[in-house]
Amino acid sequence: MKKSIITLLLITSVVITSCTSTAPVLKSVAYKGMYDEKPLVALIMPPINRSTNIDAKEYFHSTIYTPIADAGYYVIPPFLSMEIMKKESAFDAELFINSPLNKFSEVFGADIAIFTIIHKWDKSSIGSNVSVEIEYIIKSTRTNEVLYTRRGEIKYDTSVSTGLGGIGGLVANLAVSAANTAAAKYVDVARICNYYILKDLPAGKYSQNNGTDGALFAGANKFKVNLSAQ
Amino acid sequence: MKRIILIITIVSLTSCSAPTNLYTWNKYENSSYNFLKNTNETTTNKLSEEYQKIIRKQKGIRGAVPPGVYADYGFLLLQTNNMAQAKEMLQKEIELYPESKIFIDKIIKLTE
Repeated sequence: MKKSIITLLLITSVVITSCTSTAPVLKSVAYKGMYDEKPLVALIMPPINRSTNIDAKEYFHSTIYTPIADAGYYVIPPFLSMEIMKKESAFDAELFINSPLNKFSEVFGADIAIFTIIHKWDKSSIGSNVSVEIEYIIKSTRTNEVLYTRRGEIKYDTSVSTGLGGIGGLVANLAVSAANTAAAKYVDVARICNYYILKDLPAGKYSQNNGTDGALFAGANKFKVNLSAQ
Repeated sequence: MKRIILIITIVSLTSCSAPTNLYTWNKYENSSYNFLKNTNETTTNKLSEEYQKIIRKQKGIRGAVPPGVYADYGFLLLQTNNMAQAKEMLQKEIELYPESKIFIDKIIKLTE
């Protein structure tokens, strides 16, 4: 499934991407703080939803954990940490995004806090297009410095064609769950947005690319991209 | 010619079968969303089944249970008053990921 998503993203981004063009920068330069601090333990903060879609928060909250773990980080167990944050009245990430984060280091042992701001989640009237504007801000819990930030406008066409080879076939695999409910379809959209933006994350301790990926070029920190299932 | 075809076939087979991600998650994200959106017996059981599958079989590069899985499975077991097994899962999280000890030890103390 994940392999299909990544393959799909690679193909579609080459074919129909409209990224803003900037001079290429190495990851070790773009995300210098990440390479200097070498964080291991990541705490997912509840997404901040500034969009008009009340469900967008859950779409992102349920899909941000796996790409960060897959990037090689230790992720504080998301449901357990959510429960503790609720009990400690710390479930509104908006309260902490500009505040000292050292308490999260003490309580959770976190090196970094991952903030997600959903700026926009709009569905087209015919229902097949979703337009998302999402921003990720990773801050050090020790220094409060922003170590990683990317903001993207992603337009995703959720209409799928089945029974095809190539990209169509991949999308058919990707969209198995989409056949069930609209919610499952939008979970897939959030998953794709997360993977697309977080694919630039420096490789963590458990990744086979740890310590070597700084020599690769970083993606643009602000971008627009059209992803399509066709 | 035969040698070229053989090499291409081997390369193709290798690239198809080699895992590309650190971990495999099955249908975790959909089960996670359903639990998050509407926590009830059905969604709890479904998520619990996903954790068991993830723990039982990993096809990712590391071949290890992903971070957080033992502990969050333990959390579900706590919710259903299965204390002994919950503590066992929390301990396994610490064994596999020692960096989790600061947080997980606090949870274990809360259960005592």
